Amino acid sequence: MIEFKNVGLVYPNGTEGLKNVNVKINDGEFVVIVGLSGAGKSTFIRSINRLVTPTSGELLVDGENILEHKGKNLRILRTKIGMIFQNYNLVRRSNVLKNVLAGRLGHVGTFRSILNLYPKEDVALAYENLKRVNIADKLYNRADELSGGQQQRVSIARVLTQQPKYILADEPVASLDPPTSHQVMTYLRKINKTDKITTIVNLHFIDMAMEYADRIIGMRAGEVVFDGPVSEVTDETFEEIYGRTIREDDLRGGASDQ
Amino acid sequence: MDKNILPPKPKKSLYKKIKYTLITLAVIGIYVWTFLGIDINWGRAIERVINNFGNIIPKLFSPDWAASGEVASMMMETIFIAFAGTLMASILAVPLGFIAAKNVTNRFVGTLGKWVLSANRSFPELILAILFIVAVGPNAFAGVLAIAIHSTGMLGKLYAEVIESIDMDIIEAMESSGANKIQILFFGVIPQVIPEFLSYAIYRFEIDIRASSVLGIVGAGGIGTMIIFASMNRNWNEMGLILLAIIIVVTIIDMISSRIRRKLV
Amino acid sequence: MSKEMISKKSKSPNLYPRKTKVQVTIIFALVLAMYVYSINFTAGQTNGGFANSLSNMGEVIKKFFPPNWSILPAIWEPMATTIQMAVIATTVAALLTIPLALLSAHNITTIKPLYYITRISLNILRTIPDLVLAVIFVGLFGVGVFPGILALIIFSLGILAKLFGETVEAVDMDPLEAMRASGANIFQVIYYGLVPQVLPQFTSFVLYVFEINIRASVVLGLVGAGGIGLTLDRELNFYNYPNAMMVIILIFVVVIIIEFISTKIREALI
Repeated sequence: MIEFKNVGLVYPNGTEGLKNVNVKINDGEFVVIVGLSGAGKSTFIRSINRLVTPTSGELLVDGENILEHKGKNLRILRTKIGMIFQNYNLVRRSNVLKNVLAGRLGHVGTFRSILNLYPKEDVALAYENLKRVNIADKLYNRADELSGGQQQRVSIARVLTQQPKYILADEPVASLDPPTSHQVMTYLRKINKTDKITTIVNLHFIDMAMEYADRIIGMRAGEVVFDGPVSEVTDETFEEIYGRTIREDDLRGGASDQ
Repeated sequence: MDKNILPPKPKKSLYKKIKYTLITLAVIGIYVWTFLGIDINWGRAIERVINNFGNIIPKLFSPDWAASGEVASMMMETIFIAFAGTLMASILAVPLGFIAAKNVTNRFVGTLGKWVLSANRSFPELILAILFIVAVGPNAFAGVLAIAIHSTGMLGKLYAEVIESIDMDIIEAMESSGANKIQILFFGVIPQVIPEFLSYAIYRFEIDIRASSVLGIVGAGGIGTMIIFASMNRNWNEMGLILLAIIIVVTIIDMISSRIRRKLV
Repeated sequence: MSKEMISKKSKSPNLYPRKTKVQVTIIFALVLAMYVYSINFTAGQTNGGFANSLSNMGEVIKKFFPPNWSILPAIWEPMATTIQMAVIATTVAALLTIPLALLSAHNITTIKPLYYITRISLNILRTIPDLVLAVIFVGLFGVGVFPGILALIIFSLGILAKLFGETVEAVDMDPLEAMRASGANIFQVIYYGLVPQVLPQFTSFVLYVFEINIRASVVLGLVGAGGIGLTLDRELNFYNYPNAMMVIILIFVVVIIIEFISTKIREALI
């Protein structure tokens, strides 16, 4: 369980990333955060694995306040939280298998990982996860030979290989075309349901949020302005979150292709 | 990695296998040859350094200020040598650069020209300086010639590459408006290449300042003359001051030069 | 510039602004003046000045020909030593440069003072010519190859760490962030995220520095720091010009061959 208690974050340049956020995310939920760019979605997500550090309040992950974590504790926290990025963040010159195995780095000792001595089970796990996202045939290809959608699937395999309890996805489909976007979201949704991994996704496409989320959290200017199940969300809700009327580019479209 | 878990790796082609094997063998060969061949007298080196360390290192850090006047004037001479040499080279390199540019002459002449220019570059300045000393005597002018010849090779090659990268559309437009070759050269080519030519020449001056500060070691003028005397007389306090002077002058010139170059390009 | 001048200019436009023209003329005049002064200053030291020197040159060059081919076997050994010095120095410098380059890259070294200290020391190091280092090391360790190797190491460290540090600063930081987010420690982040990105450039820079070291080690012998330079110095001191010419030709051929191979490999790498 992840719990934000009066969390605030002020960046060194004075901008407020988060303002008095109070949110409780239960195990197994699929939560989508929506809001305009700059609304604090990214800051919210990155606070959970401490890529950014909130400056006030408490952030509890499995009952522990993670804001105090440093060094080893911080790395242990991060091993149980997987992350997916907008730009896939793969090592472009390394092959797919090596990229996926990088998900094990937090579990494997420095020495073993540097000598490429991954336990057999880890290699098997990596391969299994590549099969799950249907990209096992690209095992030995270099990451930069793959299309955007394929790279994002590799990064999902990497996260799965990490065997996390939580998955954070920061705008995972912003760089993809509509059909590929739906493919990626479908994988994330499937993983959430079968593996029971709590998943938190940032999106700015309203239609996708409605299609895949269990629960939607709306953010504006660092504040949570809406929090509720999808069934309660209407067009008016989004207009309130965005502070303006809904436009064509707030929709991803292409859902009918599925 | 375990074959039972993963599908087999795609086979590397035979050509690649042979290539990698050969490269590995060559590298191992070079190291074996090097470590069998090199002969370092560790005992003597260690003995010497124990005896000398206290005599040399502290003195380097307490420069002999009394020599300031001489160091300053020799440093000026060093700058003059570098300046005259670089300027001579940057002018000489212009026609050579045009000859070595494929789009001005042709592929064959261009390749040959660049080959000659980079061969010239492979000749260390100090060896050139030695040759010129035999010709014009042990003085700063030999240094100027050495710097000039060495830099001409380098600059000529860089100029040729600049000329090859110019925008040919403008030239086509001028040709179609009836301009002759000379007009095209002055109005189409030169404005495009001038900033980069200047930038390379100024960069070359940075390198030549360093080069000209050691020319004196073989007798071709500049601060190097003092270096060799200071080391022969074991005057390490003076060496400290020379070192300081070189560091300061080179740093200042690098700073000015990179500022000018940033403005140019 | 006064108002009048501006208004004049606007009446009949010049191809270039007046200010630029003036600036360029002044700079050009300064450069020319300094050039004339430099040439006079340096040529003034020669016997009979510029013209006499040049006419003299032809005469002197003749003394060097024909080169004495028979000494080739005897000078091969110092040539080999020269190459070996460059190999050792380049290898050691390549190993030492890795921590230095990481320390001098602002995206890896987040501790500011450490970054600035490394930067400044490397900048100072790079201003000292290789031969000056060699002179000092010969004073410290006595005549031989060891001071030469040491001078080459220090000298190439400055260049290599700068080039490599800049490469490290230009890497894609995204995969490094992903690894940090998955709980990897700093060594794993560097090894898995950074190394694959910079390895080809690193190899290329090492080869480039090897070329520089070959050229530098050729002349180190002139100050007693081992290698073929020592042979050249000796032949010149005895006025054995045909022998000296042979040494020069050998140096030239070896340097060209090594540069050619190294350039080809570097082109294949990137």
